Amino acid sequence: MIELISQSRCINCDICVEVCPTNVFDPVPGEAPVIARQSDCQTCFLCEAYCPVDAMFVAAEAHEHVEVNEEDLIAKGLLGAYRRNLGWNKGNSPEIRMNEMRELQRKVGAPF
Amino acid sequence: MNKLNEPGLEINADVLVIGGGPAASWAALAAAERGAKVVIADKGYLGASGAFAASTSGAKVIPPIKELRDPVKFERYALGGHLAQHSWWDRLLDVTFEKAPKIYEWGGYETPPYNTNGRPAYRGLQGCETMRIMRKQVKKAGVQILDHSPALELLVDDEGAVSGARGFQRQENRPWTVKAAAVVMASGGCAWLSKALGCNTNTGDGLLMAVEAGGELSSMEFSAHYVPAPKHSSVTKSAYYRFASFYDESGKVLDGLTKNGHRSTSAIAKELLKGKVYVTLNQNGADNPDMQKLLRLQQPNFMNAFDKIGVDPFTEKWEITLLLEGTVRGVGGIRIANKDCGTTVPGLFAAGDAATRELNCGGFTGGAGPNMTWAIGSGNIAGWAAADHARSLGQKATERNVRGVGRTGLVSSTETDATYDANAVVKGVQEEIFPLDKNIFRTEKGLLDSLAKLNQLWSEVQKNPVQGTAQELQRSREAVGLVAAARWAYFAGLERKETRGMHKRLDYPQLDPNQRHYLAVGGLDKLWTRPVPVPEAVVPQPAKEEVAVHA
Ligand SMILES: Cc1cc2nc3c(=O)[nH]c(=O)nc-3n(C[C@H](O)[C@H](O)[C@H](O)COP(=O)(O)OP(=O)(O)OC[C@H]3O[C@@H](n4cnc5c(N)ncnc54)[C@H](O)[C@@H]3O)c2cc1C
Ligand code: SF4
Ligand code: SF4
Repeated sequence: MIELISQSRCINCDICVEVCPTNVFDPVPGEAPVIARQSDCQTCFLCEAYCPVDAMFVAAEAHEHVEVNEEDLIAKGLLGAYRRNLGWNKGNSPEIRMNEMRELQRKVGAPF
Repeated sequence: MNKLNEPGLEINADVLVIGGGPAASWAALAAAERGAKVVIADKGYLGASGAFAASTSGAKVIPPIKELRDPVKFERYALGGHLAQHSWWDRLLDVTFEKAPKIYEWGGYETPPYNTNGRPAYRGLQGCETMRIMRKQVKKAGVQILDHSPALELLVDDEGAVSGARGFQRQENRPWTVKAAAVVMASGGCAWLSKALGCNTNTGDGLLMAVEAGGELSSMEFSAHYVPAPKHSSVTKSAYYRFASFYDESGKVLDGLTKNGHRSTSAIAKELLKGKVYVTLNQNGADNPDMQKLLRLQQPNFMNAFDKIGVDPFTEKWEITLLLEGTVRGVGGIRIANKDCGTTVPGLFAAGDAATRELNCGGFTGGAGPNMTWAIGSGNIAGWAAADHARSLGQKATERNVRGVGRTGLVSSTETDATYDANAVVKGVQEEIFPLDKNIFRTEKGLLDSLAKLNQLWSEVQKNPVQGTAQELQRSREAVGLVAAARWAYFAGLERKETRGMHKRLDYPQLDPNQRHYLAVGGLDKLWTRPVPVPEAVVPQPAKEEVAVHA
């Protein structure tokens, strides 16, 4: 479930409020949105993928709340990791990721 | 009292599309392509909402060459109990072959090259990226998008023809009404809020709305689709279990959980009913570091389940569970009554998971392409037909006298002010529909017991819905959809006294050739079923050498 909106990173763009399919967030004028309905979170990771400044962390635990620590997540390279893996971060693109994939496919064959 | 009667947004259109996944987006584009004025209303955000955006699925994009298409048609024909129709496959494959590649073009991607086997090498464009491109294209086509605007009921005219819908804009806190000449229902399947990846927007609302408008459903008995997921997670991605070793709690290898390289859901379910099951992906070449890199690149969403908790899925053991995907990768949905993806109600068309997928999948679907082929194919077919229907009605369409037909969970009764607790109702439904021993391994007694409890819940929701906030309005109505869908699924399951497709009856373990028909199901307070013949004779499997074995 969504566990973190980094107050220091968030630029209050409200993109997460707009894209969350289950309407988990409420906007707050001039501030970071709040996680208003955490139990409605379906753990789809898409707010995290859309956040332009890697301010969000959706934990893999879908059925229970877990504590997370921002510094710890940063140290482990986990903030924004899904966005990078999709090729959605700056300087990257899905095409680049797909080309890497084709390169590897040529080497080891299509997995199925 | 009805919160939908407050003043709100009102729009007239030729075609209203309900949903925001691939089926809905394709339907909107197809209707716009034929000159219709189109509005699309999504419960969530068109682009991120629905099963596909979160999970990524491939379609069958196959050139019109018999040797390439036959294997697709026969791949799961027997598995689906010979209820699929080859003539439908032909149409769906034609539409998908024409339309699916456009996503690459619209997104500015290089068109994928052909493999040596003659099939385009589509791989790797993620669901969320695909839907980002679709959203841009839908906007470009002049379609008006209403995000965060769940549809809650259909409108019908004096003759009973569907003529629009009403819903609520949960971020604007106001109702919406769209009067339209035709409606395409593409609101996805029903996964009973299991948290299967991307599926919690899909609560069977479309099924309920269609039945209230006089429509009927089909193949609801084929709705017990479960998928393994790392136990802590939502990630019901299934393809990589072909690399799995399965273990019990003591570390002993569990054999027989895969069949012909595919996981066997019922074998996994049997083990899970005995105890914990663990997996490591270390078979069939998954111990090769380059293969691991490739698998990571191919399904970044699957890797979320592991990266975020610091587990290496290729060397460590992780516990699995089975999550219910219901009709999302199951079959049941609104019955399609003609070649245009029209339903039994004039003015109402259905597409994607909201519609029955029996026409190309029979009684079994699963992953790997048939569902997306149905979503793209039926979306386009329904969109075209809805636009044509609008043109044939002309000016008359907006002059009709219309009324909302939503009832349970939407309109308060005058006889009582007692309310029901939507969350408690949802929990009650889940207690009947989630357990593996109730839903996968079916018996007459088990189905009757569950139906008795579900009928009690149906009585409970006849009390008044709580509608204080937009969220409560939505959840109250969703709870009703979930009860209704579970009742249809088990009622049809009771009626089909055999084992066929994904419907498994312990008390009737054999396939009965006399039951090679579809089961239409419907009704609200009182349920009914009716056999519907399959219009195609069983197509014999071509000789082995003609059909390449399809991985
Ligand atoms: C993990 C996973 C893996 C899959 N893999 C494959 C695969 O490999 N191959 C394959 O063919 N298929 C696969 N599928 C299935 C495939 O994703 C679906 O068949 C496909 O998404 C169906 O498209 P759709 O548009 O009908 O539904 P969805 O994509 O689910 O979209 C439904 C839409 O309806 C909206 N909605 C719901 N209720 C309402 C309402 N009341 N009002 C307005 N809007 C509403 C939702 O917000 C959502 O936008 C997979 C599914 C899952 C979950
Ligand atoms: S998307 Fe990211 S930056 Fe924008 S409001 Fe949400 S958390 Fe803040
Ligand atoms: S993970 Fe998905 S459901 Fe959860 S808050 Fe983010 S976008 Fe919403």
